[in-house]
Amino acid sequence: MAEDSGDFARSMGIATSGLRAQAGRMRVISENIANADSTAPTAGGDPYRRKVPTFTSTLDRALDAQVVALGRIRPDQSDFRVKYEPGNPAADATGSVKYPNVNTLIEMTDMRDAQRSYEANLNIISATRAMIQRTLDILKS
Amino acid sequence: MSISDLPVLSALRTKMQWHQERQRILSENVANSDTPNFKPRDLVEPKFDKTGAPVGTMGTLPMMQTSTSDIAPFGGGDSFDQNKRAGFETRPAGNAVSLEDEMTKSAANQMDYAAVTQLYSKSLQVIKIAIGKG
Repeated sequence: MAEDSGDFARSMGIATSGLRAQAGRMRVISENIANADSTAPTAGGDPYRRKVPTFTSTLDRALDAQVVALGRIRPDQSDFRVKYEPGNPAADATGSVKYPNVNTLIEMTDMRDAQRSYEANLNIISATRAMIQRTLDILKS
Repeated sequence: MSISDLPVLSALRTKMQWHQERQRILSENVANSDTPNFKPRDLVEPKFDKTGAPVGTMGTLPMMQTSTSDIAPFGGGDSFDQNKRAGFETRPAGNAVSLEDEMTKSAANQMDYAAVTQLYSKSLQVIKIAIGKG
């Protein structure tokens, strides 16, 4: 309940939800980068489709605050990259191969973004910890 | 008259509560820095009169539970005024959180809190001197 946990504990909990969401985002990004060249197992089939993480703000009743959570992971609907490679086992009748719609440059910028947001949440935790420490210091004096 | 009735101490205590609540709101902003349509929030700094009582409105009355079977109030649990002018640039996704802004605010909040706790322990020291134990 909200009465049991002080504002500082709630700050920590909210920042932790941010850390968890950004870590999930990193997982999706690494999945995209790892599969940047995964073609279809069968001839003419669809290759790996890029995944897009979404964030939703939900009300945590225990914390009584707007925490963030990783929402549904949606597929990217943009077109696949098509290359002409008749020798490739995944090529269709016209000799073209579909490659995933993953742009590693975009994934890298996304990854940096996730990294910065993660650091921001860590900063909040260390600031809150410093404030708790100051409170305890009152007792020491 | 108890120690907690001293104007200085009660004012400092209110200020410490304000900093705690502000830290919570700032961490909410940072955690939701990638959530679409999220608008950051902030609190207005409280002002005090000579008796240490806060001046002006202190936000709306908080909703209380009158029995344990009641549904706990949520959302507007703040007991301090909100700063409605927080956030000035909105990204295409509808998110208006600026991480740089929130980091500066968090650092300022932390430093101010350190100052308040320092003042609080100094005031306690003064009382100790007065009762002859300094």
